[in-house]
Amino acid sequence: MSALRFMGAGTIVVVALFGVGSPLRAAEISGRVIDPQGNPVRAAVVFIDQPAAGAARPVKEPTATMDQVHRQFVPHILPVEVGTLVSFPNHDQIHHHVYSLSRTKTFEIPLYKGETAPPIRFDQVGAVKLGCNIHDWMSGVILVVPTPYFATTDEHGAFTLRGVPPGTYGVVAWHEGSKVTVEETRQSVTAGAGASLLTFTLEVVEPRVRPVARRGYE
Amino acid sequence: MNWWRRRRLRTKIFLPFSVLIVAILLATLWVTGVAVSSWVERSLKRQFDATGDVYRGLMAERAERLLGETSLLAGDFALKRAIATYDPDTLSSVAENHRERIGVDLLWIADENGRLLAAAGRAADADRPLTALAPLAQAKDTEAPAVAVTEVGRGLVQLVAVPVFGPDPIGYLLAGEAIDDATAQQLQANSGPAVSFLTSARVFASSWPAAEREQLFPGSMIRTRALQAQLVRAGAAPDPERSTFLLDLRGDRLLSILIPIEAQLPAPLFALVQDSYDRALGPLATLARWIALLGAAALLGALVVGRVIASGIAAPVQALVSAMHRVLTGDFSQRLTLRREDEIGFLAHSFNEMVAGLAERERIKDTFGSFVSRDVAAAVLSGQLPLDGERREVTVLFQDVRGFTSIAERTDPRMLVRIVNRLFAEMAAAVEAQGGIIRVFTGDGVMALFGAPVAYADHAARAVRAGLDMLARLPAMNAELEAEQLPALRIGVGIATGEVIVGRMGADQRSEYNVVGDAANLASRVEGLNKELGTALLISATTAVCLGTEFALGRRAVLSVKGKERPVEVVEVLSVAPEASQAG
Repeated sequence: MSALRFMGAGTIVVVALFGVGSPLRAAEISGRVIDPQGNPVRAAVVFIDQPAAGAARPVKEPTATMDQVHRQFVPHILPVEVGTLVSFPNHDQIHHHVYSLSRTKTFEIPLYKGETAPPIRFDQVGAVKLGCNIHDWMSGVILVVPTPYFATTDEHGAFTLRGVPPGTYGVVAWHEGSKVTVEETRQSVTAGAGASLLTFTLEVVEPRVRPVARRGYE
Repeated sequence: MNWWRRRRLRTKIFLPFSVLIVAILLATLWVTGVAVSSWVERSLKRQFDATGDVYRGLMAERAERLLGETSLLAGDFALKRAIATYDPDTLSSVAENHRERIGVDLLWIADENGRLLAAAGRAADADRPLTALAPLAQAKDTEAPAVAVTEVGRGLVQLVAVPVFGPDPIGYLLAGEAIDDATAQQLQANSGPAVSFLTSARVFASSWPAAEREQLFPGSMIRTRALQAQLVRAGAAPDPERSTFLLDLRGDRLLSILIPIEAQLPAPLFALVQDSYDRALGPLATLARWIALLGAAALLGALVVGRVIASGIAAPVQALVSAMHRVLTGDFSQRLTLRREDEIGFLAHSFNEMVAGLAERERIKDTFGSFVSRDVAAAVLSGQLPLDGERREVTVLFQDVRGFTSIAERTDPRMLVRIVNRLFAEMAAAVEAQGGIIRVFTGDGVMALFGAPVAYADHAARAVRAGLDMLARLPAMNAELEAEQLPALRIGVGIATGEVIVGRMGADQRSEYNVVGDAANLASRVEGLNKELGTALLISATTAVCLGTEFALGRRAVLSVKGKERPVEVVEVLSVAPEASQAG
């Protein structure tokens, strides 16, 4: 696996709690992401970055959608498994010019409306920052992860990785404003022995809000 | 003080004037100098402050332009895509292209971590990371454009750093304008004074021409101790007063101030603003020249006026002094002719009167001899008495010492003179007491005149009273002489009355008040008869008829005398009549 290009720096405290369960059934790995003050961190993506040896991969080609609504990318954070075909429908009444200049995936969908744009395959893991060339404030992230086992934390900072085959995995957490690298968050988890409860502590900074031009209407 | 006492009057007048004028002149020069130089300093300082304002305005304008244009470039999608290639060659050409597009001295492209991707216009310092540059560090931190003055390649650059969003920062554009000699020259052109940008370590830029620059900052270093000290002082504490100081440039004094410049450098950056103090003081020099010229004219005027005034005072005084000198040598003909009525005129007039008085006195002395009574002298001086010849009835008195020849022979000459002087004093006193004058001293007696020049109706009685007084004085005098072992004296007195001619006779310098007439001879003969008759006081009959009953008369005799054809009748006077003395 090539090195992940997740950015960040800082400290992380990892506390792993392991439950007891059947080793043969698909297991769940759940837990919380909190900041050093104990506050829940929402919109963090937790995923398995090192599948257990021999773990079965889903056969169906994965797809995902990054919508554009009210001159925003929806969702703001879209985690996808590597190789996913992502479509970029435009549900605004105006054109958008979606692009990414990220080293993970550089692409550009010149000015378009509706659902005419062909989907784009993201075949390299890493974060892909999306922008719109004509709306500077629009931004989104497609987080390309190496496995289908990923989840986004809710407002309580909680996540659950479902259908994980039994085995021992490296689990990491990513957040748009994390000050640590993804590698630094890695925890080793043995799934299948029962419910696994993980806690990630991430120091995050709130993403900068770029001013929105409010003329006309989407 | 002695020196001053000995100075001439002219000097005494002129010198204080001159000292006063010179003092006023110097004070005026000093006050003018202080006022003008303070004014020049203030006005230069205002100009310097204006230069500071022009600099800040220039920098603000440049910053605005740099920020505006670089921000526009940073928003260019083509540039973003170019950055995303991370291809050094492409980016180098992009940097050069964009540098020319906005016309700046340097344009650099850095990646999202602040690492240099391409540089145009000016190379980045290889020995330090780009993020050490303050604007980039700040832009990375805030994701917003930042601007600062900083050092690039040993030069000063106003540098902006603008993030390139894609949509998060994918890199940074850095654009800079050099603050160089041209900038300093532009500042000087806009505001007047010379401008140099420097820290305590080195001079970055200056508007001075090369020669002056090398003089002021040899090798672009700060070598003059004065400037070093000022930099240390200004760097140590903020100086809101912006105190001025002077630096020397080949003998020309430069008024200088240090204006702190906001910059990201290891040492504080200053704009050294300078202008020629001496040139600014040029009008003062002109003013000082004029004041000195006017002062010299005033001094000259004082000299002339002083001379005129001094001459007006000193010349008459000088004339007075020399006239006085001549008077002292006995020349009483000196007179001052001054047509003025001030104090000096009064002085001259008084001098003339004084000399006239002296001359008159001298004349009287010449005329009557030393023994003139105060009354007679006053009468003569008042001009009441004609001294020209006139015929007058007078009484003449002769007094003589009996046996004087034998006394003279046996007496020491000095003693004799004393005796004679003593006698004369008494005789003269007796004559003067009666208003007579001593006509002549005869050696052992006197010839006295009564009734001229002062006319008295009772001249005969006065003469007889004088004769009696002479005799009366004798005993007391003889007692004194005998006490001194000197011989006692006996005298004889002869008095005659008659018509004579009196007046001043003789050559100019030797003229005397003289009497010519028979009465004078007669008095002498009458005196001689005392010896024959054994009397002390004899008067002629001419005198006797003039007397009243005042005197007690003795014997009468008619005797022939030598030189007279007819015998002479004489009368002895004994004393003042008892009834007369009781009455009088």
